[in-house]
Amino acid sequence: MSKVPRNFKLLEELEKGEKGLGAESISYGLANQDDITMTYWNGTILGPPHSNHENRIYSLTIICDETYPDKPPKVRFTTKINLPCVDSEGHVIISNFETLKNWKRSYTMETVLLELRKSMALATNKKLPQPVENSTY
Amino acid sequence: MATLPKRIIKETERLVSDPVPGITASPSDDNLRYFEVTIDGPSLSPYANGKFQLELYLPDEYPMCAPKVRFLTKIYHPNIDKLGRICLDVLKDNWSPALQIRTILLSIQALLGAPNPDDPLANDVAQEWKQDEQKAISVAKEWTEKYAVSKD
Repeated sequence: MSKVPRNFKLLEELEKGEKGLGAESISYGLANQDDITMTYWNGTILGPPHSNHENRIYSLTIICDETYPDKPPKVRFTTKINLPCVDSEGHVIISNFETLKNWKRSYTMETVLLELRKSMALATNKKLPQPVENSTY
Repeated sequence: MATLPKRIIKETERLVSDPVPGITASPSDDNLRYFEVTIDGPSLSPYANGKFQLELYLPDEYPMCAPKVRFLTKIYHPNIDKLGRICLDVLKDNWSPALQIRTILLSIQALLGAPNPDDPLANDVAQEWKQDEQKAISVAKEWTEKYAVSKD
């Protein structure tokens, strides 16, 4: 397999997001429709059922800089959340989140959002007390 | 890195030894499937005097599928969107393995000379193009001057 260059990988991800071909519980798209560098993205995660996140919608910002996808994107919740892998300003802590810690080039923004959603549903996390719904950092 | 298919090596050699007038394409050092491309705007078009930068990538399936190509220079054109994506039949359904990198780049250069607002990718641009062609052409010239003409 040859290495897909950053821009063409991001174009593939964008197309998948635009056409809604991915998972239904998450979504993502460019923050600015004419950002030719495709650096700044917005994401959302629908809280998993049977947890304190049920029916909540979480917004995130994702930054794919020049080093993406060799290095993981920078991910931050803008909606307040209480999770062990998220710091007090909403940043996802790389060392506490397996997907970013053991990043692989084949991963995508969709992978990150789905894995975050899984982490919300973990037995140890699903009943954690949560901030008021829709409060932001 | 996996070995590069003979076809790609041959195409690359020819692009360098026998370049197409007004078009350059050179593979990047760390990925021989990834090319830096420039296309000169056709002389009798709103893109004249502009040198447009593009990027091109040959997926693993090439030549059974088309190369992926995108403009990096901003351009006002009904078949090219804000992210530089190109709407061109030979890059999609009409791709054939008999085509090559050079023929694709020539088709893109021809597209600059013959915008097709009836098969748009950038809907707002196509709309403006159809409503007032003279005005659209002057905007295209302005953008060329602003983004595609080197200032030195």
